[in-house]
Amino acid sequence: MGTFGAIGIAGSALGTYRKWLDAVSDNLANVNTVRSTSETAFQARYIVAQANDSQGGDGGGVHVAGAAFGSAEGRIVYEPNNPLADADGNVRYPDIDMASQMTQLIMAQRGYQANAAVVDRAKELYTTALQIGRS
Amino acid sequence: MSVAPISAVVTSSVTPTAYVSSASPAGTAAAGATDGAFASTLASSVDSLQAMQANTDQLAVKAVTGNLSDVHDYTIAATESAVAMELTSTVRNRAVEAFNEIMRMQA
Repeated sequence: MGTFGAIGIAGSALGTYRKWLDAVSDNLANVNTVRSTSETAFQARYIVAQANDSQGGDGGGVHVAGAAFGSAEGRIVYEPNNPLADADGNVRYPDIDMASQMTQLIMAQRGYQANAAVVDRAKELYTTALQIGRS
Repeated sequence: MSVAPISAVVTSSVTPTAYVSSASPAGTAAAGATDGAFASTLASSVDSLQAMQANTDQLAVKAVTGNLSDVHDYTIAATESAVAMELTSTVRNRAVEAFNEIMRMQA
């Protein structure tokens, strides 16, 4: 990372929050995805963030280690008029809580904004350093 | 009053100072090495600046062709190369300033 360590670290965090935003977006898009009870429900996507180990010489930051998936069971809802309903009139909805997803959306947005602010401040800081001694 | 005649200087009796003869080339070499160190530092920083700007250019091409996965990748690369450009030009300007200062020196 060298001279611009803070910018690189904040950049890695921006990537992580962007992926979280993608995951939340996917979950919200599929909140009403109905499947028949013989299939597994749509599984909510969750991002697993992991710190870049500074001992490894990477110089800090964060990366997405992988994705975790929510319940495959979902919620069984009685909807006899649904074309996907089984003999008992049940369908499978994904187990996604919209309020929780909206909260995560705000968290992802705020995290992204915070790290974008870090990039701006770091740039300002480096520019200040360049002004030292300039008459 | 008698004036003693000036005796001829026997050149063989004058020995060159060991300090000047031996130290002079070494001193020049040392100065040359220092100059080279600064020049190579500046050159390598210009090289890394060039690499940064090449990376920014690639990301700009990706942005206009729709292959950019992360918007912030491009803006961060652009910011970094702008600051690095400013840094390199500041270092270069300071060096020229120092050189000019030396050239203005008067005994």
